[in-house]
Amino acid sequence: MSRIGARAVVKLAQIEAGQLARSILVLAGLGFGGLLVWVFANHDQPVWWNGGWQIGYGQVVISLTVLIAAHLATARAHRDGLAELYDSFPSSAGQRTLAHLIGVLGAVPACLVLIGAVIGFFDLHSVIGTPDLAALAGGVLLVLAAGAIGVAIGSRFPHPLAGVLGAFVWFVPFSQSNRWSGAITWLFPWVEPPQLKDLPGPLSGYPPAAAHAVELAALAVLAGVVALALTAPARRQRIALGAGAAAALTAIVVACAVQCQPIPSAKLNHLMTEVATTGSAQGCTTSAQVHYCLYPEFDSLLASLQAPVDGVLAHLPVQPVPALTIAQTSELTLDNPLDDPTLTHGHSTQQVAMWIAQLQSAPANLPSSSAIYVDLGSWPARPQLADARFDLALGAAEWAVGLPTSTGLAARPVQCVPLNQAREAIAIWLAAQATHLPPAHFQGGNNGRLIGYSLAQVDGTPVITWVYPGEEASYLASPGPQPTAAGYLLAQAMTRLAPARVTTVLAESWDSWTSGRATDAQLAAALGIKMPAVPSGLVGPLGNPITLQPGTVPPQPACTP
Amino acid sequence: MGAMTVQVEGLSRRYGNIRALDGVDLTLERGITGLLGPNGAGKTTLLSVLATINEPDAGQVSVFGLNPKDRAERVEIRRRLGYLPQELGYHRHFTVAAFLDYVAILKEIVDRRQRAQEVARVLAAVGMERLGRRKIRTLSGGFRQRLAIAQALLGRPELLILDEPTAGLDTEQRLRFRELLSNLPGDPVIVLSTHQADDIAAICPRVVVVLEGRIHFAGTPAALAETAKGHVWTAERRDERAHMSWRDGDNRWRHIGDRRPADSETAVPTVEDGYLLLSHATGTR
Repeated sequence: MSRIGARAVVKLAQIEAGQLARSILVLAGLGFGGLLVWVFANHDQPVWWNGGWQIGYGQVVISLTVLIAAHLATARAHRDGLAELYDSFPSSAGQRTLAHLIGVLGAVPACLVLIGAVIGFFDLHSVIGTPDLAALAGGVLLVLAAGAIGVAIGSRFPHPLAGVLGAFVWFVPFSQSNRWSGAITWLFPWVEPPQLKDLPGPLSGYPPAAAHAVELAALAVLAGVVALALTAPARRQRIALGAGAAAALTAIVVACAVQCQPIPSAKLNHLMTEVATTGSAQGCTTSAQVHYCLYPEFDSLLASLQAPVDGVLAHLPVQPVPALTIAQTSELTLDNPLDDPTLTHGHSTQQVAMWIAQLQSAPANLPSSSAIYVDLGSWPARPQLADARFDLALGAAEWAVGLPTSTGLAARPVQCVPLNQAREAIAIWLAAQATHLPPAHFQGGNNGRLIGYSLAQVDGTPVITWVYPGEEASYLASPGPQPTAAGYLLAQAMTRLAPARVTTVLAESWDSWTSGRATDAQLAAALGIKMPAVPSGLVGPLGNPITLQPGTVPPQPACTP
Repeated sequence: MGAMTVQVEGLSRRYGNIRALDGVDLTLERGITGLLGPNGAGKTTLLSVLATINEPDAGQVSVFGLNPKDRAERVEIRRRLGYLPQELGYHRHFTVAAFLDYVAILKEIVDRRQRAQEVARVLAAVGMERLGRRKIRTLSGGFRQRLAIAQALLGRPELLILDEPTAGLDTEQRLRFRELLSNLPGDPVIVLSTHQADDIAAICPRVVVVLEGRIHFAGTPAALAETAKGHVWTAERRDERAHMSWRDGDNRWRHIGDRRPADSETAVPTVEDGYLLLSHATGTR
């Protein structure tokens, strides 16, 4: 290519890039992509080792629109009846294709705007960790690869629907990646492994971000080579393009091979130890006889956890014994440990079984009356934070009144029900005082917040239970007892009294009130209030009516004194 | 090669069983050459070969001494070329100036200032200097045709190939177009394909008649008109033996044929008469 020809390519590429950057399609992709990331990331406190892959889903949406827009731009001359005129210009079809390929860079601003917006959103929600540049770059390369594919399609098939069809075909791997398991999943254009957010920190090679970025970059180059080969008929050019295609294919094969490598045993051993033997990895801070044990990346979470617990402690007349431990735990230890094959692929079944056994021995799997386990990766973003804090405050209050704080999950035990135990109402009252939530916050019904009533069976008797704020969201890995509607209604009546009056009554015989033998009626009488009756016509969290039909729900034990 | 700047020898081109060009020999000099011929005569194929976008099956083409079969020389020809295809589309969402700017880059006018000046020049040349910011989709057909002409003028081409440039233009625009071509600086080689014989008569010092893929006449418009001398008459009544007859502006019948109609007067032949007689003689009408 002559020097002036090269300058013409650069100028054309600038125009094409500008048009792509302003394209309605690309801007729409940016909007929908941002919306998708918001839907994915809006619920839990964001963690960066997962966040880069969540942003990638937004880039997937942008890539679809960029593919169509790049196709339309490339096929513009044919579509608009200008192909013959363009063929009469000194700038060849190959040069024009090259300009379109470079012009795909016009999609980068949309990618960066998405990344910038999500970074801002994450920062607002106290993101954990530091961005994974390889994952973020991978998202951008995904868009560029799609754009190059759009150019390649446009070079051969100018019909507008060809681009739409191409976008559909490009989308198929995203929609079908869940049908595969193991390392092959990484080879799909974009996937987010299901257990990534459950890690206590980034794990090198899970996912193999750098190799995946290389795969996508090579895919972009390969698509570009195909586009140029379709429009640059000169033999010498074809030889160079053949060499480029061979290099791109080699890079893809090497990148795929690297991605298929199992995560080294040493790294997984370290991870299992971190997760199962939390003491080895977590740093603990003690405040007012409460130990807060967090993974190093989650230090910033401390204040958010401390506030509701301190609120409970402030209303206690007596400091409970033993001390309370609030620790993080990973879902890797829960029901289906290591159910993500991409984490353990390449390792023997025996080795995986050993890891699973190690995970099942994690403290969170055992019942406890002095430990609360916060589910790692489930602590919510701002909109749901009030519910999570109530959930934690209730756990701390249950510890304070001698109720179990963690049911444990190893043997799938069921929650006990503190049926007609005054300490239950005290715990709910303490949690409400600690979080300063207005009565309306506990309002149930079909309002999307999953608060309301449910049915339990205790000793063959149907009992209406209370589904409290945050219960359904499982912010705590292993919950304490299942509160009753009666206990909640009594606590609600208590909140109408002056807190000092309630505290005084409780302080007079704290041990008695929290023994598990004092009844709701006794507490109501001591407080001088009428014991509220459980009304009929209560509804569940989804607005479903609650009917007392024994035998329709599995039995649950009463909490023992 | 002197004044002979474009030379074609033994040019042939087939599309399947259709012989579009059949041994065409042609020399184009600086100035305007009009190309006359019916639809399907091979004019557009000839022009597309000259514009280097169509390769002949046989024959030689030399443009300013350059051989379009050679890749580098073909690019050099294209650098000196302005081309208006017969059916030109538009980038509807481009503005007029943006489209011309884009074409100017494709013509390797890469300096921004030079490109801006060039776009302004051609816009002024076609009387669209105030329409640079208009979206092409909002232009009327006449303005679009002017824009098509404007893009061909970008870069001050030495060879200007215009395939039916006046199609869609009204009378005033056609006259402006004639004025524009007549005043082009640099004395380029201009090949103008048209169905408008009066355009040829008005601005072309040289005319070439293409019929059935062959050159049947090459000379001045006056010489083409002269070929009809003694074959054109006017009369009060229609003569069935005439090759063609029509009423003229004086409401008299104008006859073109080989036999003089009764009670007729000999008329001064025009370029159109010459072309029609030639077409009839070759059996294309």
